[in-house]
Amino acid sequence: MSRSTRRGAFAAATVALALTTAACSSSDSGSSDPTTSSSSTTAGSVAFQPQHKGGTLKLVAHAAAGSLDPQVNYTLQYWQLYQSMYDGLLSFKKVGGQESFTVVPDLAAAMPKVTNGGKTYTFTLRKGITFSNGKALTTDDVVASFQRIFKVSSPTAGTFYNGIVGATACLKTPASCTLKGGVTGDATANTVTINLTAPDSEFPYKLAVPHASIVPKDSPTKDAGTKPLPTTGPYMAASYDPNRELKLVRNPHFKEWSREAEPQGYPDQIDYTFGQTVESEVTAVENGEADWMFDPPPADRLNEIGTKYTSQAHVNPLTAFWYATLNVNSAPFNNKLARQAINYAVDRSAVVRLYGGTNLASPACTILPPGFPGHVDSCDYTKGGGKTWTAADLAKAKALVKKSGTAGQAVGIVVQDDDVNKSIGQYLQSLLTQLGYKATLKPLSANIQFTYIQNTKNKVQLALTSWYQDYPAASDFLNVLFSCAAFHPGSDSSINISGFCDKGTDAKMQTALKTAQTDPTAANKQWGAIDQSIMQQSPVVPLINPKIIDFTSKRLGNYQFSKQFYMLVGQTWVK
Amino acid sequence: MGQVSTAAPELATVEARRPPGPWRTAGADLLHNRSALAAAVVLFLVVLATLCAPLYAHHVAHTDPFQSHVSGSTVADGKTVPVLTPSSTGLGLGVTPIGPTWDPAHYFLGADNQGRDVMARLLYGGRTSLFIGFTAALLTCALGTVVGVVAGYAGGVVDAVISRVLDVIWAFPVYLLAICLSVVLLTDGLHLGPLTVEAGSLWLPVAIIAAIYVPYIARPLRGQVLVLRNKEYIQAAIGSGAPTVRILRREVLPNVLPTAIVFVPLMTALAMLTESALSFLSVGVQPPDASWGTIIEDGLGLLYTRPAVTIAPGLLIALTTAALNVLGDGVRDALDPGARLRGGV
Amino acid sequence: MLRFIVKRFASALLVMFAISVLVFLIFFATPGVDPAARIAGRNADPATLAQVRHSFGLDRPMPIRYLLMMRHLLIDRDLESFVNRGSRVIPQIVQATPVTLSLVIGAALIWMAAGIIMGTAAAALRGKAADPLIMLVGVVGVSLPAYWLGEVVNLITQKQLHSSVFSWVPPPGYVDLSHDPGQWALHLLFPWLTLALLYAGIYARLLRGEVVTALNEDYVRTARAKGLSERRILIRHALRCSLIPIVSLFGLDFGALVGGAALLTEVVFGLPGIGKLTFDALQNLDLPVIMGTVLYAAFFVVLANALVDILYARLDPRARHA
Repeated sequence: MSRSTRRGAFAAATVALALTTAACSSSDSGSSDPTTSSSSTTAGSVAFQPQHKGGTLKLVAHAAAGSLDPQVNYTLQYWQLYQSMYDGLLSFKKVGGQESFTVVPDLAAAMPKVTNGGKTYTFTLRKGITFSNGKALTTDDVVASFQRIFKVSSPTAGTFYNGIVGATACLKTPASCTLKGGVTGDATANTVTINLTAPDSEFPYKLAVPHASIVPKDSPTKDAGTKPLPTTGPYMAASYDPNRELKLVRNPHFKEWSREAEPQGYPDQIDYTFGQTVESEVTAVENGEADWMFDPPPADRLNEIGTKYTSQAHVNPLTAFWYATLNVNSAPFNNKLARQAINYAVDRSAVVRLYGGTNLASPACTILPPGFPGHVDSCDYTKGGGKTWTAADLAKAKALVKKSGTAGQAVGIVVQDDDVNKSIGQYLQSLLTQLGYKATLKPLSANIQFTYIQNTKNKVQLALTSWYQDYPAASDFLNVLFSCAAFHPGSDSSINISGFCDKGTDAKMQTALKTAQTDPTAANKQWGAIDQSIMQQSPVVPLINPKIIDFTSKRLGNYQFSKQFYMLVGQTWVK
Repeated sequence: MGQVSTAAPELATVEARRPPGPWRTAGADLLHNRSALAAAVVLFLVVLATLCAPLYAHHVAHTDPFQSHVSGSTVADGKTVPVLTPSSTGLGLGVTPIGPTWDPAHYFLGADNQGRDVMARLLYGGRTSLFIGFTAALLTCALGTVVGVVAGYAGGVVDAVISRVLDVIWAFPVYLLAICLSVVLLTDGLHLGPLTVEAGSLWLPVAIIAAIYVPYIARPLRGQVLVLRNKEYIQAAIGSGAPTVRILRREVLPNVLPTAIVFVPLMTALAMLTESALSFLSVGVQPPDASWGTIIEDGLGLLYTRPAVTIAPGLLIALTTAALNVLGDGVRDALDPGARLRGGV
Repeated sequence: MLRFIVKRFASALLVMFAISVLVFLIFFATPGVDPAARIAGRNADPATLAQVRHSFGLDRPMPIRYLLMMRHLLIDRDLESFVNRGSRVIPQIVQATPVTLSLVIGAALIWMAAGIIMGTAAAALRGKAADPLIMLVGVVGVSLPAYWLGEVVNLITQKQLHSSVFSWVPPPGYVDLSHDPGQWALHLLFPWLTLALLYAGIYARLLRGEVVTALNEDYVRTARAKGLSERRILIRHALRCSLIPIVSLFGLDFGALVGGAALLTEVVFGLPGIGKLTFDALQNLDLPVIMGTVLYAAFFVVLANALVDILYARLDPRARHA
């Protein structure tokens, strides 16, 4: 089982590598620092360079990302930091480039032994690992951490870890969660056994994300919030104030056990300060007062960064897509022709411009992003046909609207109220008006919008949103976003925002999930076909695949980009 | 003047026999106040310009300022150039809209991030800002007068209840109350029985701004009415059994109305500033409508490359509110020198 | 007098209570605002969602929810933020207070000095060309949108002229007074000036009016008849009496600003004060923090109002019945 999964990731990696070479080149040409370009292509880990050790790495962000608890926080902002703080049994390889999608043993000494038809995973723990509070890591900590996922109502408790035996009871009454028969430790043999109710080809990925981090068994059984939990990795949090600063210092008990799973870090201290405007973040990095900014630089600074600071800007494509959801259960988009019309009409190159230009985003026409397992180039909605999107077909769109008889109907567009989202929303509103709809735009605070558009009670017809992968598997886009099970009418948590529920597609997805257990390549082919068949129904309008720009200070070196968790913070050096 | 007298000759003759009333003296005072006159001229020009917005957009600039032109092109210095130019040097990051061309026919003040003509949007935005400022001010003053007079005249429980409500609004920090209300109303619109206001409607900011400033008007007026009510001639009128409505209309209103009117221009200025601040926090006017505040907010994303988009609407707000304040001071000096709006926001 | 103070105090409590109920009701009237879905994550299953709702007490009836929140805020003083769990509301407010005080006290000193000088000068020079000019400066100050002024100041000092005239201006942000007094003042200089510009005009205009009225009063004429110098009359007599309404307006403004009314200035200049805290909480729809900051702000407004009223009541017994 585990072997096949690793092969799966590897197979995906080769496909992806071929597809993203063009996209990656922009990053490489941009960075004059030789370590950057070489590190993102070399596989494997480079030896530690002690001459660069030390100093304080200064990071800035507009806002903190909430709770510091690795089993609760579900933001890329802190998942990025957890790479060099917390460890699970398995982890994603801490390297740049495509290799970063590979799962490797971390607190486990080796990849698990998989038996019982893919339902039983047996891990042997590494010896001599100590938490930052000085206590040794034991099998009890591992068992308690899995229970804790449910006790703290981790965001993914019911979606990633519900396949563990005993999870159903834990979801119902978290306080008394034992995962009896699900997760058991054997202290003498130093092993942990996990039993699943059904085989799950994606389980190793789920063990490698921060929610499955191992924390001490006496950790509070509620969200630890701003009180940092002891870590196993090279850094630990010394203090955290979400309005001011997060301070990471070296974990005095850390000894490097596996360079690819958890390499030791270069800076002695990492200061992450919050609260500045994004404009002043850019200025701070330009002046060397900060080493890296979390937020995407604002539109009016991009040109300056791209011309005056070429060696300090690193651009990398993300496995994510921005898309517009069309509510298939209410007028006018309960009409397939009307939905297809929008897909034909949207000028992706205009959206790319609004996002920051061709080097920061590329037009999208499929659900699975390029370079992602299962992605196949195909585009039903481009002018003149073709495998990729080239131009919008406004004439065809207008004809389809006419044919559908939906012209003149009111359409509300709901977007987040930040600059980029709002400007794309304004473009969509203007476009729908052109198509003959009475389009209105409703920009909402980012905090409301995402739950607002999910709840069917709010009768949202068209919403702008995005999806960033949790782990590199096609089901993380298709099954999560388009299955009937992901549609919960009347609930704030209904990620199938279009309300697309098709029995045939659901059955195909179940088959693909099964196939993945034995033959990942065949499964990915199936996922590619599912992507195309969903797109024919047009429940969403894929707009762009974004790229991320990391703007770093002059002194920052050894920039490496993990496709899974982004810039490897602990691996950068400032000396 | 001649035309007026033919329309209402009786009125004119009646007026002529009386000594000049307080309104006429005030009018004469105002006409002699040079700064107030200058302010009125400035205001008139601003209003005139915004009224010409469609004329400018359709016949001079030939553009629809509410339509995105992300992939459009225009003419500058006789050459065809894209409205939004993607950067082509270095890493090629970012897209820059065309800057001011100083050519009224082609993007006089440049374009915003949607490729829309900033000049045309300024004119249309001015209509929205002035509309919101003026209607909100009228509404506040009307509402404030009614509330203040009722509370001051009725006294007792009515006064106590109204005063406490006013205290609550007063103690609620202005922007916090406005933002709180906006967040709710912008999400769901306003539903008050048969009255429904859509979430994107301009009447929402009007209603919100009018509501939060009511105590600014009602409190001083209530105080005035309280003093009036104890005056002998009103006590006498009450004692003689005159109907309340008549006392209010004949004796109370004429006394408080000058104060209420004094507040209108000052309140308009305050309402315009508040509207722009709410729009800046993106809880004011909603797209596709534009106001000077929303143009500033759109422009902040371009501050470092195209500062004109931010600076121009800000200057217009400053000019208009300054004119309103000067005019308001003039009206105050003429009508009711003691009247004072709570200073500062 | 004591009865008056007690009455004033009771009505203040009532106002604070009404405000807290209002905030609570407005918050839960917003669709999509339920923090549970945001906390539970982007694809939470219904069971997890229900658990999160339960752990925050969001499944309880509204009045209970309200009472619990107020108990945690005021009695136990351990109310926690919805967004940053574990971070308590009261310490956040305590931490933000010195920042706002630094901003407001500094700005107030500048605008009072500028306002008094401008107002007195304009009154003394009335009828001359300088008077309307000074007043024009005042009007412009009052008419500028605060956030816009801040952004333009930032643009000029951080970008346009940063390499030449303003190279000494530090990036936006705050440095503690105890940490480095010089940097503290340097970081606050432009926020002070910006805020002061917005207020100085109001005070100058008000003061000019008062001084002009006072100069026509009998006691000033008497003083003049006694042969006192114009300067002495202006400063010792006219100005002194004119300051009373100024001080009461100052009380109200200062109370509002300390409570967070300088929100826009704090946001634009990245100062982590009460206003910024409130703004962030509103952006995050973090009810516990919104509740805390709104009540904090209301407290200062109510307090300032009460103090001004009591001051007036002391000066003029008739006002007690008004």
